[in-house]
Amino acid sequence: MIVTSARTYIDLHVLHTVPPANLNRDDNGDPKEAFFGGVRRSRVSSQAWKRATRAFFAEHNPDGDRAMRTKKIAEQLTRRLAERASLDTETAARIATSALQPLDIKPGKKAGETAYLLFFGHAQLDAVIDLFVDDVAELCELGDEDLAARLKDLPVQQTLNQGHPLDVGLFGRMVADIPALNVDAATQVAHALSTHAVELEMDYYTAVDDKQVDSTGAGMIGTVGFNSATFYRYATVGLHQLETNLADPAAARDGIRLFTEAFARSMPTGKENAFAHHTRPTLVAAVIRGDQPVSLVSAFEKPVASTSGIAATSARRLAEEHSRSVAQWGDNPLFTGVCHTLDPDSPEAGKVGEAFGDNRTFAELLDAVQAHLPAVQEVA
Amino acid sequence: MSPETSPQSVLLLRLAGPMQSWGDRSSFNRRETRPEPTKSGLVGLLAAALGRPRGADLTDLAGLRCGVRVDQPGTVLRDYHTASDYRGVPLLQAGVSAKGVQKPTSPAKPTHVTHRFYLQDAVFVASLAGDPEFVASLADAVRRPAFPLALGRRSCTPTQPLVLDVRPGALEAELTSEPWHAARHARQVYRRRQGGTVAEVDLPATFDDEDGTDVVNDLPLSFNVRDRRYSTRRVRHTWLTVPTGETTVGGAAAASSHDPFALLGW
Repeated sequence: MIVTSARTYIDLHVLHTVPPANLNRDDNGDPKEAFFGGVRRSRVSSQAWKRATRAFFAEHNPDGDRAMRTKKIAEQLTRRLAERASLDTETAARIATSALQPLDIKPGKKAGETAYLLFFGHAQLDAVIDLFVDDVAELCELGDEDLAARLKDLPVQQTLNQGHPLDVGLFGRMVADIPALNVDAATQVAHALSTHAVELEMDYYTAVDDKQVDSTGAGMIGTVGFNSATFYRYATVGLHQLETNLADPAAARDGIRLFTEAFARSMPTGKENAFAHHTRPTLVAAVIRGDQPVSLVSAFEKPVASTSGIAATSARRLAEEHSRSVAQWGDNPLFTGVCHTLDPDSPEAGKVGEAFGDNRTFAELLDAVQAHLPAVQEVA
Repeated sequence: MSPETSPQSVLLLRLAGPMQSWGDRSSFNRRETRPEPTKSGLVGLLAAALGRPRGADLTDLAGLRCGVRVDQPGTVLRDYHTASDYRGVPLLQAGVSAKGVQKPTSPAKPTHVTHRFYLQDAVFVASLAGDPEFVASLADAVRRPAFPLALGRRSCTPTQPLVLDVRPGALEAELTSEPWHAARHARQVYRRRQGGTVAEVDLPATFDDEDGTDVVNDLPLSFNVRDRRYSTRRVRHTWLTVPTGETTVGGAAAASSHDPFALLGW
């Protein structure tokens, strides 16, 4: 197992207001709900927002399906093969290179590197080795040409094509029949809950038949359930777990950035054409912790009253909960940063500043988070 | 090895969060929840904190004596859940091809429907008793977990504090002396029902007990993905009279008043 840093969790707290919308429906077609603090809340399931996050990845990294991040697939494969089959590096390199040959990956300028970055999870590399590890003794005896011919028909490409590695590293993968391909997720995403009490609203609609001119009345009638809410969204990523999953500490650090961006910016698409709920978060706070992930949902157990500006009050509550929790438990985070759109002169912005630091642009927040991740340490 | 003879420590955990889910016989597309935390759920939480991989030995964790107190029962939430591939790729079937690759469903099936049940708005106090050194190491692990912790399901994040305390003592006594951890709104309902502030509240609890009257099938033997096994344990259900943490203000007299709406939680 490659763990180059101690336990590091990146907690993301997002306050996100949506206008009347139906982001995530139950089997009646109404927005999902849950009770918390004794009152009904609007809810978006963790699965729904994770899907939105993954779709954001796919949209913004069109090559993400198989291309990213390591030029050293051959080296990685060699290292793992040498370890698994107790081979010397030279022999392992010869076999690994042959196994990768049918993929036609362009070689890079440096020996053993590919021309472009490829993003693979270690479970995938292990799966490739699984394809021929039993015959290694025999393979060592073969000449270069025979070796290439022998490995040509193995489903190496198929194995490496399965899944989206960053996705898989972050969200995990479960393949019932092939436990070797299972990956434990590095992220944990909570169901989004409104910070306040919410009642389900029903939109009664009538649709007019344009061609029905000789009589009155609607062509069709129906109802659509909806509500509007300020959501508290929480996710945490274990950097150490992501490193293990990706077998590449640098890639894991980039993965944190991509996840932060995708989680903050993404929005489930449920009924988006009917409601156009395309909003950005009011507040994104990132907290890097060396001990444990801390959800601040308790800030909203007492529901925010709906008469006094829900988003700003929610931000103040979140900040107070964070400050109180740190003071109470004495567990100072390694880093806190925040990006918000509150009125800078408001008392709420002041509280948020006390708790999470100065307001930054989102790009600055992403940079700051990445800069404050623990440096990669080589561990023998 | 009687648990009463050797010195024991008790780890008290507060299990609270908007949603929890403690399955004990879930399979396929209907994922139910028990009304209170299962031993397999607790062992799983501790194993995750310790960073044990799936399939690791669980004997020491399963050997802890466990007790669970219901501070706030919550209600059941049914979640209608669909899964599909956002790229529009058909879902995969369980079977694999000759090359060991999962085959797509045929005819292509784009959406998979499951029902997941959760407890919403619930609070429990769980306690685990065992060797003092081991129990102390568990408390440390929960404070610095290797894997993110969850209340039965990955998406059910716990709220802090999770670790209440580690105390020398007996399981049932420690669970009885620990004050009530109900939320503000639950306390309000209770106060209204009692006609004022009361010093004590009766809470249901379940303990591991070899002479118990009930048998539950949630003692984990292995969390190995390919070989998930459980055994049974005997439990005893009881009620504990627990301090509310509030002082009495003429509650006793008011408590005897007849309130038919109390049953409805009004």
